[in-house]
Amino acid sequence: MDAVIWLGSAFALLTIGLFCVTRRNMLRILLGIEIILNSGNMMFVYFASVNPGLGIVDPIGQSIVFMSIVTGGAVVSVGLALIVNAYKQFKTTDASELRRLKW
Amino acid sequence: MIPTALYYMFAPLLVVLVGVLAERMGSPKLRDGFAVLASAWGVASVWLVFNLVQASPDKILVVTLGGSPPLAACLEIDMMSVYVAFSAALLGFFANVYSYSYMEHDTRLTEYYTLLSALVIGMTGVAFAGDMFTLFIFWEMMGIASYALVSFRKETPGPIEAGFKYMVMGSVGSTILFFGAALLYGMTGTLNFAQMSSVLHGHAASPWFYLVLAILIVGFGVKSAIVPMHTWLPDAHPEAPSTISAMLSGMLIETALYALTRVTYVLFEPQMFSLVVAGLAAVTMCVANITALMQKDIKRMLAYSSIAQIGYMLVGLSTGSVFGVMALLLHVFNHSIMKGLAFLSAGSLVHSADTRNIDELKGIGRAMPITTITLFVALLGLGGVPGTGGYISKLLLFSSAIPVGYMWLAVLGVLNSAFSMGYYLMTMYKLISRPVEGVKGLHEAPMAMLLVTVVMAVLVIWTGVLPATVIEMAEAGAKALVENLGNYVGVIMR
Repeated sequence: MDAVIWLGSAFALLTIGLFCVTRRNMLRILLGIEIILNSGNMMFVYFASVNPGLGIVDPIGQSIVFMSIVTGGAVVSVGLALIVNAYKQFKTTDASELRRLKW
Repeated sequence: MIPTALYYMFAPLLVVLVGVLAERMGSPKLRDGFAVLASAWGVASVWLVFNLVQASPDKILVVTLGGSPPLAACLEIDMMSVYVAFSAALLGFFANVYSYSYMEHDTRLTEYYTLLSALVIGMTGVAFAGDMFTLFIFWEMMGIASYALVSFRKETPGPIEAGFKYMVMGSVGSTILFFGAALLYGMTGTLNFAQMSSVLHGHAASPWFYLVLAILIVGFGVKSAIVPMHTWLPDAHPEAPSTISAMLSGMLIETALYALTRVTYVLFEPQMFSLVVAGLAAVTMCVANITALMQKDIKRMLAYSSIAQIGYMLVGLSTGSVFGVMALLLHVFNHSIMKGLAFLSAGSLVHSADTRNIDELKGIGRAMPITTITLFVALLGLGGVPGTGGYISKLLLFSSAIPVGYMWLAVLGVLNSAFSMGYYLMTMYKLISRPVEGVKGLHEAPMAMLLVTVVMAVLVIWTGVLPATVIEMAEAGAKALVENLGNYVGVIMR
Protein backbone atom coordinates (compact mmCIF):
# COMPACT_ATOMS: atom_id res chain seq x y z
CA MET A 1 0.00 0.00 0.00
CA ASP A 2 2.88 2.31 0.87
CA ALA A 3 4.38 1.69 -2.54
CA VAL A 4 1.17 2.71 -4.30
CA ILE A 5 0.96 5.96 -2.35
CA TRP A 6 4.60 6.91 -2.84
CA LEU A 7 4.85 5.87 -6.49
CA GLY A 8 1.46 7.40 -7.21
CA SER A 9 2.47 10.75 -5.78
CA ALA A 10 5.83 10.64 -7.56
CA PHE A 11 4.12 10.05 -10.91
CA ALA A 12 1.59 12.76 -10.06
CA LEU A 13 4.44 15.19 -9.37
CA LEU A 14 6.06 14.18 -12.69
CA THR A 15 2.82 14.97 -14.51
CA ILE A 16 2.42 18.30 -12.70
CA GLY A 17 6.02 19.19 -13.54
CA LEU A 18 5.66 18.31 -17.21
CA PHE A 19 2.44 20.35 -17.30
CA CYS A 20 4.25 23.34 -15.74
CA VAL A 21 7.03 23.13 -18.33
CA THR A 22 4.56 23.64 -21.15
CA ARG A 23 3.32 26.97 -19.67
CA ARG A 24 4.35 30.37 -21.01
CA ASN A 25 5.85 32.05 -17.97
CA MET A 26 9.61 31.43 -17.78
CA LEU A 27 9.64 31.23 -13.99
CA ARG A 28 6.86 28.68 -14.06
CA ILE A 29 8.87 26.61 -16.56
CA LEU A 30 11.83 26.66 -14.18
CA LEU A 31 9.58 25.61 -11.27
CA GLY A 32 8.28 22.77 -13.43
CA ILE A 33 11.82 21.49 -13.90
CA GLU A 34 12.34 21.55 -10.14
CA ILE A 35 9.10 19.65 -9.59
CA ILE A 36 10.16 16.89 -11.99
CA LEU A 37 13.51 16.67 -10.19
CA ASN A 38 11.71 16.41 -6.87
CA SER A 39 9.52 13.58 -8.10
CA GLY A 40 12.76 11.66 -8.76
CA ASN A 41 14.08 12.64 -5.34
CA MET A 42 10.92 11.37 -3.70
CA MET A 43 11.21 8.00 -5.44
CA PHE A 44 14.83 7.71 -4.33
CA VAL A 45 13.95 8.47 -0.72
CA TYR A 46 11.17 5.89 -0.76
CA PHE A 47 13.21 3.15 -2.45
CA ALA A 48 16.17 3.80 -0.13
CA SER A 49 13.93 3.10 2.85
CA VAL A 50 12.64 -0.25 1.53
CA ASN A 51 15.86 -1.63 0.01
CA PRO A 52 15.65 -5.28 1.10
CA GLY A 53 19.30 -6.26 0.71
CA LEU A 54 20.67 -4.17 3.55
CA GLY A 55 18.27 -4.05 6.47
CA ILE A 56 19.07 -0.38 6.97
CA VAL A 57 18.10 2.75 5.05
CA ASP A 58 20.34 2.64 1.99
CA PRO A 59 22.88 5.49 2.21
CA ILE A 60 23.53 5.65 -1.55
CA GLY A 61 19.86 6.35 -2.24
CA GLN A 62 19.91 9.24 0.21
CA SER A 63 23.24 10.64 -0.90
CA ILE A 64 22.13 10.84 -4.55
CA VAL A 65 19.15 12.89 -3.35
CA PHE A 66 21.50 15.38 -1.68
CA MET A 67 23.65 15.56 -4.81
CA SER A 68 20.63 16.04 -7.04
CA ILE A 69 19.38 18.88 -4.82
CA VAL A 70 22.79 20.53 -5.26
CA THR A 71 22.90 20.07 -9.04
CA GLY A 72 19.26 21.15 -9.22
CA GLY A 73 20.24 24.35 -7.43
CA ALA A 74 23.01 24.93 -9.95
CA VAL A 75 20.63 24.41 -12.88
CA VAL A 76 18.13 26.82 -11.35
CA SER A 77 20.77 29.49 -10.80
CA VAL A 78 21.87 29.24 -14.45
CA GLY A 79 18.21 29.32 -15.47
CA LEU A 80 17.47 32.40 -13.35
CA ALA A 81 20.51 34.16 -14.81
CA LEU A 82 19.19 33.39 -18.29
CA ILE A 83 15.74 34.70 -17.33
CA VAL A 84 17.23 37.96 -15.99
CA ASN A 85 19.15 38.40 -19.23
CA ALA A 86 16.10 37.51 -21.30
CA TYR A 87 14.11 40.11 -19.39
CA LYS A 88 16.79 42.71 -20.16
CA GLN A 89 16.68 41.84 -23.87
CA PHE A 90 12.97 41.25 -24.44
CA LYS A 91 11.34 43.16 -21.51
CA THR A 92 9.11 40.18 -20.75
CA THR A 93 9.18 36.81 -18.99
CA ASP A 94 6.73 35.30 -21.45
CA ALA A 95 8.49 32.42 -23.20
CA SER A 96 6.16 32.60 -26.21
CA GLU A 97 7.57 36.05 -27.02
CA LEU A 98 10.93 34.43 -27.75
CA ARG A 99 10.15 33.47 -31.29
CA ARG A 100 13.00 34.95 -33.26
CA LEU A 101 14.59 31.55 -33.89
CA LYS A 102 12.33 29.26 -35.85
CA TRP A 103 13.41 26.80 -38.54
CA MET B 1 43.36 3.78 -4.08
CA ILE B 2 42.86 6.41 -6.76
CA PRO B 3 45.46 6.54 -9.58
CA THR B 4 47.20 9.90 -9.87
CA ALA B 5 46.32 10.11 -13.57
CA LEU B 6 42.69 10.66 -12.58
CA TYR B 7 43.65 13.70 -10.51
CA TYR B 8 45.65 15.04 -13.46
CA MET B 9 42.47 14.90 -15.53
CA PHE B 10 40.98 17.70 -13.42
CA ALA B 11 44.03 19.96 -13.82
CA PRO B 12 42.45 22.12 -16.58
CA LEU B 13 40.06 23.54 -13.96
CA LEU B 14 43.05 25.35 -12.44
CA VAL B 15 42.55 27.88 -15.23
CA VAL B 16 40.12 29.68 -12.93
CA LEU B 17 42.92 30.47 -10.42
CA VAL B 18 45.45 31.34 -13.11
CA GLY B 19 42.84 33.49 -14.84
CA VAL B 20 42.10 35.56 -11.75
CA LEU B 21 45.82 36.02 -11.03
CA ALA B 22 46.62 36.90 -14.65
CA GLU B 23 43.87 39.51 -14.71
CA ARG B 24 45.23 41.05 -11.49
CA MET B 25 48.70 41.18 -13.02
CA GLY B 26 47.31 42.75 -16.19
CA SER B 27 48.53 40.07 -18.60
CA PRO B 28 45.42 38.16 -19.70
CA LYS B 29 47.32 36.34 -22.48
CA LEU B 30 48.99 34.32 -19.73
CA ARG B 31 45.63 32.77 -18.92
CA ASP B 32 44.91 31.93 -22.56
CA GLY B 33 48.30 30.28 -22.88
CA PHE B 34 47.71 28.35 -19.67
CA ALA B 35 44.34 27.15 -20.95
CA VAL B 36 46.01 25.75 -24.08
CA LEU B 37 48.70 24.01 -22.03
CA ALA B 38 46.17 22.68 -19.53
CA SER B 39 44.01 21.18 -22.26
CA ALA B 40 47.09 19.53 -23.80
CA TRP B 41 47.72 18.17 -20.30
CA GLY B 42 44.14 16.87 -20.32
CA VAL B 43 44.87 14.87 -23.49
CA ALA B 44 48.07 13.55 -21.91
CA SER B 45 46.24 12.49 -18.74
CA VAL B 46 43.69 10.53 -20.77
CA TRP B 47 46.68 8.85 -22.42
CA LEU B 48 48.02 7.96 -18.95
CA VAL B 49 44.65 6.50 -18.01
CA PHE B 50 44.72 4.52 -21.25
CA ASN B 51 48.06 3.01 -20.24
CA LEU B 52 46.66 2.12 -16.81
CA VAL B 53 43.67 0.43 -18.44
CA GLN B 54 46.00 -1.55 -20.71
CA ALA B 55 47.98 -2.70 -17.69
CA SER B 56 45.02 -3.75 -15.51
CA PRO B 57 43.44 -7.25 -15.61
CA ASP B 58 40.74 -7.72 -18.30
CA LYS B 59 41.62 -4.21 -19.49
CA ILE B 60 39.09 -2.71 -17.05
CA LEU B 61 40.20 -0.20 -14.45
CA VAL B 62 37.86 0.14 -11.46
CA VAL B 63 38.26 3.10 -9.12
CA THR B 64 35.96 3.27 -6.12
CA LEU B 65 35.45 6.22 -3.82
CA GLY B 66 34.38 5.45 -0.27
CA GLY B 67 33.98 1.73 0.25
CA SER B 68 32.98 -1.15 -2.00
CA PRO B 69 30.59 -0.84 -4.98
CA PRO B 70 27.07 -1.21 -3.62
CA LEU B 71 27.65 1.75 -1.31
CA ALA B 72 30.41 3.57 -3.16
CA ALA B 73 30.55 5.83 -6.18
CA CYS B 74 32.75 4.17 -8.76
CA LEU B 75 34.48 4.81 -12.05
CA GLU B 76 34.70 1.79 -14.31
CA ILE B 77 37.01 2.56 -17.20
CA ASP B 78 37.30 0.18 -20.13
CA MET B 79 38.60 0.62 -23.68
CA MET B 80 35.34 2.18 -24.88
CA SER B 81 35.37 4.81 -22.12
CA VAL B 82 38.97 5.71 -22.87
CA TYR B 83 38.21 5.96 -26.58
CA VAL B 84 35.34 8.42 -26.07
CA ALA B 85 37.23 10.38 -23.41
CA PHE B 86 40.23 10.70 -25.72
CA SER B 87 38.05 12.05 -28.54
CA ALA B 88 36.57 14.60 -26.13
CA ALA B 89 39.94 15.70 -24.74
CA LEU B 90 41.45 15.99 -28.23
CA LEU B 91 38.61 18.14 -29.52
CA GLY B 92 38.79 20.19 -26.33
CA PHE B 93 42.47 20.84 -27.01
CA PHE B 94 41.74 22.01 -30.57
CA ALA B 95 38.93 24.26 -29.30
CA ASN B 96 41.24 25.82 -26.71
CA VAL B 97 43.98 26.57 -29.24
CA TYR B 98 41.42 28.05 -31.61
CA SER B 99 39.92 30.20 -28.85
CA TYR B 100 43.31 31.85 -28.34
CA SER B 101 42.71 34.02 -31.41
CA TYR B 102 38.99 33.61 -31.90
CA MET B 103 37.85 34.93 -28.51
CA GLU B 104 40.34 37.84 -28.44
CA HIS B 105 37.67 40.53 -28.66
CA ASP B 106 35.38 39.03 -26.00
CA THR B 107 35.41 39.84 -22.32
CA ARG B 108 34.93 37.52 -19.31
CA LEU B 109 37.41 35.04 -20.75
CA THR B 110 38.33 33.51 -17.38
CA GLU B 111 34.75 32.29 -17.09
CA TYR B 112 34.86 31.11 -20.68
CA TYR B 113 37.96 28.96 -20.26
CA THR B 114 36.77 27.59 -16.92
CA LEU B 115 33.43 26.56 -18.39
CA LEU B 116 35.14 25.04 -21.42
CA SER B 117 37.37 22.96 -19.13
CA ALA B 118 34.34 21.94 -17.07
CA LEU B 119 32.58 20.86 -20.28
CA VAL B 120 35.50 18.65 -21.34
CA ILE B 121 35.91 17.18 -17.84
CA GLY B 122 32.17 16.53 -17.66
CA MET B 123 32.32 14.56 -20.92
CA THR B 124 35.34 12.60 -19.72
CA GLY B 125 33.54 11.84 -16.48
CA VAL B 126 30.42 10.63 -18.28
CA ALA B 127 32.64 8.32 -20.32
CA PHE B 128 34.36 6.95 -17.21
CA ALA B 129 31.29 6.59 -14.96
CA GLY B 130 30.62 3.15 -13.54
CA ASP B 131 27.32 3.89 -11.83
CA MET B 132 24.24 6.04 -12.31
CA PHE B 133 25.26 8.35 -9.46
CA THR B 134 28.61 9.32 -11.00
CA LEU B 135 27.10 9.48 -14.46
CA PHE B 136 24.36 11.86 -13.31
CA ILE B 137 26.76 14.24 -11.56
CA PHE B 138 29.13 14.51 -14.52
CA TRP B 139 26.12 14.69 -16.84
CA GLU B 140 24.85 17.77 -14.97
CA MET B 141 28.36 19.26 -14.92
CA MET B 142 28.55 18.91 -18.69
CA GLY B 143 25.01 20.23 -19.08
CA ILE B 144 25.34 23.30 -16.86
CA ALA B 145 28.64 24.31 -18.45
CA SER B 146 27.12 24.01 -21.91
CA TYR B 147 23.97 26.02 -21.01
CA ALA B 148 26.16 28.86 -19.83
CA LEU B 149 28.49 28.63 -22.84
CA VAL B 150 25.71 28.66 -25.44
CA SER B 151 24.45 31.98 -24.09
CA PHE B 152 27.95 33.32 -23.48
CA ARG B 153 27.56 36.36 -25.75
CA LYS B 154 24.65 37.66 -23.69
CA GLU B 155 24.70 41.17 -25.19
CA THR B 156 22.56 40.02 -28.15
CA PRO B 157 19.10 38.45 -27.96
CA GLY B 158 19.87 35.35 -30.07
CA PRO B 159 22.19 33.49 -27.68
CA ILE B 160 19.92 34.21 -24.70
CA GLU B 161 16.91 32.77 -26.46
CA ALA B 162 18.81 29.74 -27.74
CA GLY B 163 20.39 29.22 -24.34
CA PHE B 164 17.06 29.38 -22.54
CA LYS B 165 15.49 26.90 -24.93
CA TYR B 166 18.47 24.57 -24.57
CA MET B 167 18.45 24.96 -20.78
CA VAL B 168 14.78 24.06 -20.51
CA MET B 169 14.94 21.08 -22.88
CA GLY B 170 18.27 19.84 -21.56
CA SER B 171 17.31 19.98 -17.92
CA VAL B 172 13.88 18.44 -18.50
CA GLY B 173 15.76 15.63 -20.25
CA SER B 174 18.20 15.15 -17.41
CA THR B 175 15.51 15.33 -14.71
CA ILE B 176 13.49 12.71 -16.59
CA LEU B 177 16.69 10.67 -16.75
CA PHE B 178 16.97 11.08 -12.99
CA PHE B 179 13.41 9.80 -12.63
CA GLY B 180 14.38 6.79 -14.74
CA ALA B 181 17.40 6.21 -12.54
CA ALA B 182 15.09 6.23 -9.51
CA LEU B 183 12.90 3.57 -11.13
CA LEU B 184 15.97 1.47 -11.95
CA TYR B 185 17.13 1.85 -8.37
CA GLY B 186 13.73 0.68 -7.16
CA MET B 187 13.84 -2.36 -9.45
CA THR B 188 17.37 -3.45 -8.59
CA GLY B 189 18.26 -1.89 -5.24
CA THR B 190 21.57 -0.55 -6.52
CA LEU B 191 22.91 2.15 -8.83
CA ASN B 192 26.02 0.35 -10.04
CA PHE B 193 25.79 -0.60 -13.73
CA ALA B 194 27.36 -4.02 -13.25
CA GLN B 195 25.13 -4.95 -10.31
CA MET B 196 22.01 -3.62 -12.04
CA SER B 197 22.97 -5.66 -15.08
CA SER B 198 23.32 -8.89 -13.14
CA VAL B 199 19.94 -8.35 -11.45
CA LEU B 200 18.09 -7.35 -14.62
CA HIS B 201 19.52 -10.07 -16.85
CA GLY B 202 18.14 -12.75 -14.53
CA HIS B 203 14.54 -11.55 -14.85
CA ALA B 204 11.92 -11.88 -17.54
CA ALA B 205 11.00 -8.56 -19.13
CA SER B 206 8.11 -6.83 -17.35
CA PRO B 207 6.27 -3.65 -18.39
CA TRP B 208 8.52 -1.71 -15.99
CA PHE B 209 11.51 -2.70 -18.17
CA TYR B 210 9.95 -1.04 -21.18
CA LEU B 211 8.93 2.03 -19.18
CA VAL B 212 12.52 2.47 -17.93
CA LEU B 213 13.92 1.87 -21.41
CA ALA B 214 11.60 4.51 -22.87
CA ILE B 215 12.56 6.97 -20.13
CA LEU B 216 16.26 6.35 -20.74
CA ILE B 217 15.91 6.81 -24.51
CA VAL B 218 14.03 10.09 -23.95
CA GLY B 219 16.40 11.30 -21.23
CA PHE B 220 19.59 10.62 -23.15
CA GLY B 221 17.89 11.37 -26.48
CA VAL B 222 17.26 15.01 -25.61
CA LYS B 223 20.98 15.74 -25.27
CA SER B 224 21.93 13.59 -28.24
CA ALA B 225 19.24 15.29 -30.40
CA ILE B 226 17.34 12.22 -31.62
CA VAL B 227 14.58 13.59 -33.81
CA PRO B 228 11.46 14.22 -31.80
CA MET B 229 13.70 15.77 -29.09
CA HIS B 230 16.06 17.70 -31.38
CA THR B 231 14.52 21.16 -31.53
CA TRP B 232 17.04 22.83 -29.19
CA LEU B 233 20.03 21.92 -31.34
CA PRO B 234 19.47 23.99 -34.51
CA ASP B 235 19.02 27.07 -32.30
CA ALA B 236 21.80 26.48 -29.80
CA HIS B 237 24.60 25.54 -32.21
CA PRO B 238 24.51 28.57 -34.52
CA GLU B 239 24.08 31.09 -31.70
CA ALA B 240 26.97 29.77 -29.58
CA PRO B 241 30.55 30.92 -30.24
CA SER B 242 32.03 28.71 -32.98
CA THR B 243 34.38 26.85 -30.63
CA ILE B 244 31.40 25.92 -28.48
CA SER B 245 29.40 24.85 -31.54
CA ALA B 246 32.31 22.60 -32.41
CA MET B 247 32.41 21.14 -28.90
CA LEU B 248 28.63 20.64 -28.71
CA SER B 249 28.25 19.25 -32.19
CA GLY B 250 31.50 17.34 -32.27
CA MET B 251 31.41 15.74 -28.87
CA LEU B 252 28.53 16.61 -26.50
CA ILE B 253 25.80 14.89 -28.52
CA GLU B 254 28.13 11.91 -29.05
CA THR B 255 28.85 11.69 -25.34
CA ALA B 256 25.11 11.51 -24.78
CA LEU B 257 24.90 8.79 -27.42
CA TYR B 258 27.78 6.96 -25.74
CA ALA B 259 25.91 7.06 -22.42
CA LEU B 260 22.77 5.72 -24.13
CA THR B 261 24.78 2.93 -25.76
CA ARG B 262 26.53 2.01 -22.53
CA VAL B 263 23.40 1.95 -20.39
CA THR B 264 21.15 0.14 -22.88
CA TYR B 265 23.74 -2.51 -23.73
CA VAL B 266 24.74 -3.16 -20.15
CA LEU B 267 21.23 -3.26 -18.71
CA PHE B 268 19.04 -4.70 -21.47
CA GLU B 269 19.19 -7.32 -24.20
CA PRO B 270 19.85 -5.67 -27.60
CA GLN B 271 16.73 -7.21 -29.19
CA MET B 272 14.53 -5.27 -26.71
CA PHE B 273 15.42 -1.89 -28.19
CA SER B 274 16.83 -2.78 -31.60
CA LEU B 275 13.76 -2.08 -33.72
CA VAL B 276 12.82 1.10 -31.85
CA VAL B 277 16.31 2.51 -32.28
CA ALA B 278 16.34 1.52 -35.96
CA GLY B 279 13.07 3.41 -36.45
CA LEU B 280 14.45 6.46 -34.61
CA ALA B 281 17.58 6.30 -36.78
CA ALA B 282 15.52 6.32 -39.98
CA VAL B 283 13.32 9.22 -38.82
CA THR B 284 16.30 11.20 -37.51
CA MET B 285 18.36 11.08 -40.68
CA CYS B 286 15.47 11.73 -43.06
CA VAL B 287 14.02 14.71 -41.15
CA ALA B 288 17.41 16.29 -40.48
CA ASN B 289 18.68 15.97 -44.05
CA ILE B 290 15.53 17.38 -45.61
CA THR B 291 15.50 20.33 -43.18
CA ALA B 292 19.21 20.98 -43.69
CA LEU B 293 18.63 21.48 -47.40
CA MET B 294 16.38 24.48 -46.67
CA GLN B 295 18.84 26.42 -44.50
CA LYS B 296 20.33 29.77 -45.46
CA ASP B 297 22.51 30.04 -42.37
CA ILE B 298 25.80 28.11 -42.74
CA LYS B 299 26.11 27.15 -39.06
CA ARG B 300 22.45 26.16 -38.91
CA MET B 301 22.98 23.93 -41.93
CA LEU B 302 25.91 22.28 -40.15
CA ALA B 303 23.77 21.87 -37.01
CA TYR B 304 21.10 19.97 -38.95
CA SER B 305 23.85 17.91 -40.53
CA SER B 306 24.93 16.91 -37.00
CA ILE B 307 21.44 15.59 -36.29
CA ALA B 308 21.65 13.55 -39.50
CA GLN B 309 25.00 12.12 -38.38
CA ILE B 310 23.41 11.11 -35.07
CA GLY B 311 20.87 9.22 -37.17
CA TYR B 312 23.70 7.34 -38.92
CA MET B 313 25.28 6.50 -35.57
CA LEU B 314 21.98 5.15 -34.26
CA VAL B 315 22.15 2.58 -37.08
CA GLY B 316 25.23 1.16 -35.37
CA LEU B 317 23.49 1.21 -31.98
CA SER B 318 20.46 -0.65 -33.34
CA THR B 319 22.45 -3.63 -34.66
CA GLY B 320 23.49 -5.03 -31.29
CA SER B 321 26.67 -6.53 -32.76
CA VAL B 322 30.37 -5.82 -32.22
CA PHE B 323 30.59 -4.69 -35.83
CA GLY B 324 27.83 -2.12 -35.40
CA VAL B 325 29.18 -0.67 -32.17
CA MET B 326 32.68 -0.57 -33.67
CA ALA B 327 31.35 1.44 -36.61
CA LEU B 328 29.47 3.71 -34.19
CA LEU B 329 32.64 4.40 -32.18
CA LEU B 330 34.65 4.98 -35.34
CA HIS B 331 32.07 7.49 -36.51
CA VAL B 332 32.09 9.19 -33.10
CA PHE B 333 35.82 9.91 -33.49
CA ASN B 334 35.65 10.81 -37.17
CA HIS B 335 32.61 12.99 -36.69
CA SER B 336 34.19 14.79 -33.74
CA ILE B 337 37.12 15.75 -35.96
CA MET B 338 35.09 16.47 -39.10
CA LYS B 339 32.26 18.42 -37.52
CA GLY B 340 34.68 20.18 -35.20
CA LEU B 341 36.68 21.22 -38.23
CA ALA B 342 33.56 22.24 -40.17
CA PHE B 343 32.36 24.48 -37.34
CA LEU B 344 35.81 25.94 -36.67
CA SER B 345 36.57 26.80 -40.28
CA ALA B 346 33.03 28.06 -40.86
CA GLY B 347 33.63 30.04 -37.68
CA SER B 348 36.71 31.64 -39.24
CA LEU B 349 34.68 32.67 -42.29
CA VAL B 350 31.84 34.01 -40.15
CA HIS B 351 34.33 35.78 -37.87
CA SER B 352 35.87 37.64 -40.83
CA ALA B 353 32.74 38.37 -42.84
CA ASP B 354 30.46 38.98 -39.83
CA THR B 355 27.50 37.19 -41.39
CA ARG B 356 26.22 33.62 -41.27
CA ASN B 357 24.09 33.82 -44.41
CA ILE B 358 25.54 31.60 -47.14
CA ASP B 359 24.43 34.01 -49.87
CA GLU B 360 26.34 36.86 -48.22
CA LEU B 361 29.44 34.65 -47.91
CA LYS B 362 29.51 33.99 -51.68
CA GLY B 363 33.02 33.95 -53.09
CA ILE B 364 34.74 34.19 -49.74
CA GLY B 365 36.86 31.22 -50.82
CA ARG B 366 38.87 33.51 -53.06
CA ALA B 367 39.77 35.80 -50.16
CA MET B 368 40.43 33.08 -47.58
CA PRO B 369 41.60 30.07 -49.61
CA ILE B 370 43.22 27.91 -46.91
CA THR B 371 40.29 28.12 -44.46
CA THR B 372 37.85 27.38 -47.28
CA ILE B 373 39.86 24.35 -48.41
CA THR B 374 39.80 22.95 -44.86
CA LEU B 375 36.03 23.54 -44.77
CA PHE B 376 35.75 21.63 -48.06
CA VAL B 377 37.70 18.71 -46.59
CA ALA B 378 35.31 18.66 -43.63
CA LEU B 379 32.19 18.85 -45.81
CA LEU B 380 33.44 16.13 -48.16
CA GLY B 381 34.22 13.99 -45.13
CA LEU B 382 30.73 14.55 -43.71
CA GLY B 383 29.24 13.59 -47.07
CA GLY B 384 31.31 10.40 -47.09
CA VAL B 385 33.66 10.91 -50.04
CA PRO B 386 36.36 8.19 -50.33
CA GLY B 387 39.72 9.31 -48.98
CA THR B 388 38.27 10.90 -45.86
CA GLY B 389 37.51 9.37 -42.46
CA GLY B 390 33.80 9.84 -43.02
CA TYR B 391 33.78 7.38 -45.91
CA ILE B 392 35.27 4.54 -43.86
CA SER B 393 32.96 4.96 -40.90
CA LYS B 394 29.81 5.41 -42.98
CA LEU B 395 30.67 2.38 -45.06
CA LEU B 396 31.09 0.29 -41.91
CA LEU B 397 27.94 1.74 -40.29
CA PHE B 398 25.65 0.97 -43.19
CA SER B 399 27.16 -2.44 -43.88
CA SER B 400 26.74 -3.35 -40.20
CA ALA B 401 22.96 -3.05 -40.63
CA ILE B 402 22.83 -5.76 -43.33
CA PRO B 403 23.85 -8.89 -41.33
CA VAL B 404 21.15 -8.25 -38.71
CA GLY B 405 18.43 -7.97 -41.34
CA TYR B 406 17.97 -4.20 -41.53
CA MET B 407 18.57 -4.03 -45.30
CA TRP B 408 16.04 -1.19 -45.57
CA LEU B 409 17.99 0.84 -43.03
CA ALA B 410 21.26 0.41 -44.94
CA VAL B 411 19.61 1.47 -48.20
CA LEU B 412 17.97 4.44 -46.49
CA GLY B 413 21.30 5.44 -44.98
CA VAL B 414 23.11 5.36 -48.31
CA LEU B 415 20.31 7.35 -49.96
CA ASN B 416 20.40 9.91 -47.17
CA SER B 417 24.14 10.16 -47.44
CA ALA B 418 23.89 10.84 -51.17
CA PHE B 419 21.10 13.34 -50.55
CA SER B 420 23.20 15.18 -47.98
CA MET B 421 25.92 15.73 -50.61
CA GLY B 422 23.36 18.02 -52.27
CA TYR B 423 23.59 20.74 -49.64
CA TYR B 424 27.30 20.24 -49.00
CA LEU B 425 28.11 20.71 -52.70
CA MET B 426 25.73 23.66 -52.95
CA THR B 427 27.53 25.36 -50.06
CA MET B 428 30.94 24.62 -51.59
CA TYR B 429 29.83 26.00 -54.94
CA LYS B 430 28.56 29.21 -53.37
CA LEU B 431 31.73 29.73 -51.37
CA ILE B 432 33.93 29.76 -54.46
CA SER B 433 31.58 31.46 -56.96
CA ARG B 434 31.85 35.14 -57.98
CA PRO B 435 32.54 37.25 -54.86
CA VAL B 436 29.82 39.56 -53.51
CA GLU B 437 30.61 43.06 -52.28
CA GLY B 438 30.87 42.24 -48.56
CA VAL B 439 33.68 39.70 -48.82
CA LYS B 440 36.11 41.66 -50.98
CA GLY B 441 39.26 42.74 -49.18
CA LEU B 442 39.03 40.11 -46.45
CA HIS B 443 42.22 38.44 -45.27
CA GLU B 444 43.11 34.92 -44.17
CA ALA B 445 42.27 33.97 -40.56
CA PRO B 446 44.89 34.54 -37.79
CA MET B 447 47.71 32.03 -37.40
CA ALA B 448 46.38 30.03 -34.42
CA MET B 449 42.98 29.50 -36.04
CA LEU B 450 44.54 28.56 -39.37
CA LEU B 451 46.91 26.10 -37.73
CA VAL B 452 44.10 24.27 -35.92
CA THR B 453 41.96 23.93 -39.03
CA VAL B 454 44.88 22.70 -41.15
CA VAL B 455 45.93 20.11 -38.55
CA MET B 456 42.35 18.88 -38.27
CA ALA B 457 41.99 18.67 -42.05
CA VAL B 458 45.14 16.55 -42.17
CA LEU B 459 43.63 14.31 -39.46
CA VAL B 460 40.43 13.88 -41.49
CA ILE B 461 42.42 12.74 -44.52
CA TRP B 462 44.75 10.66 -42.39
CA THR B 463 41.86 8.71 -40.83
CA GLY B 464 40.56 8.16 -44.36
CA VAL B 465 43.78 6.92 -45.93
CA LEU B 466 45.32 5.03 -43.01
CA PRO B 467 42.36 4.09 -40.80
CA ALA B 468 43.93 0.96 -39.26
CA THR B 469 44.92 2.46 -35.89
CA VAL B 470 41.57 4.11 -35.23
CA ILE B 471 39.64 1.02 -36.36
CA GLU B 472 41.72 -1.12 -34.03
CA MET B 473 40.95 1.15 -31.08
CA ALA B 474 37.26 1.31 -31.96
CA GLU B 475 37.13 -2.48 -32.25
CA ALA B 476 38.75 -2.89 -28.83
CA GLY B 477 36.10 -0.51 -27.44
CA ALA B 478 33.23 -2.34 -29.10
CA LYS B 479 34.48 -5.73 -27.91
CA ALA B 480 34.76 -4.38 -24.36
CA LEU B 481 31.09 -3.38 -24.52
CA VAL B 482 29.41 -6.23 -26.38
CA GLU B 483 31.49 -9.42 -26.16
CA ASN B 484 33.18 -8.88 -22.82
CA LEU B 485 30.09 -7.69 -20.98
CA GLY B 486 30.64 -10.62 -18.61
CA ASN B 487 34.00 -9.15 -17.61
CA TYR B 488 32.51 -5.70 -17.14
CA VAL B 489 29.97 -7.16 -14.72
CA GLY B 490 32.38 -9.67 -13.22
CA VAL B 491 35.01 -7.14 -12.19
CA ILE B 492 32.52 -5.53 -9.81
CA MET B 493 30.71 -8.66 -8.63
CA ARG B 494 33.91 -10.55 -7.82
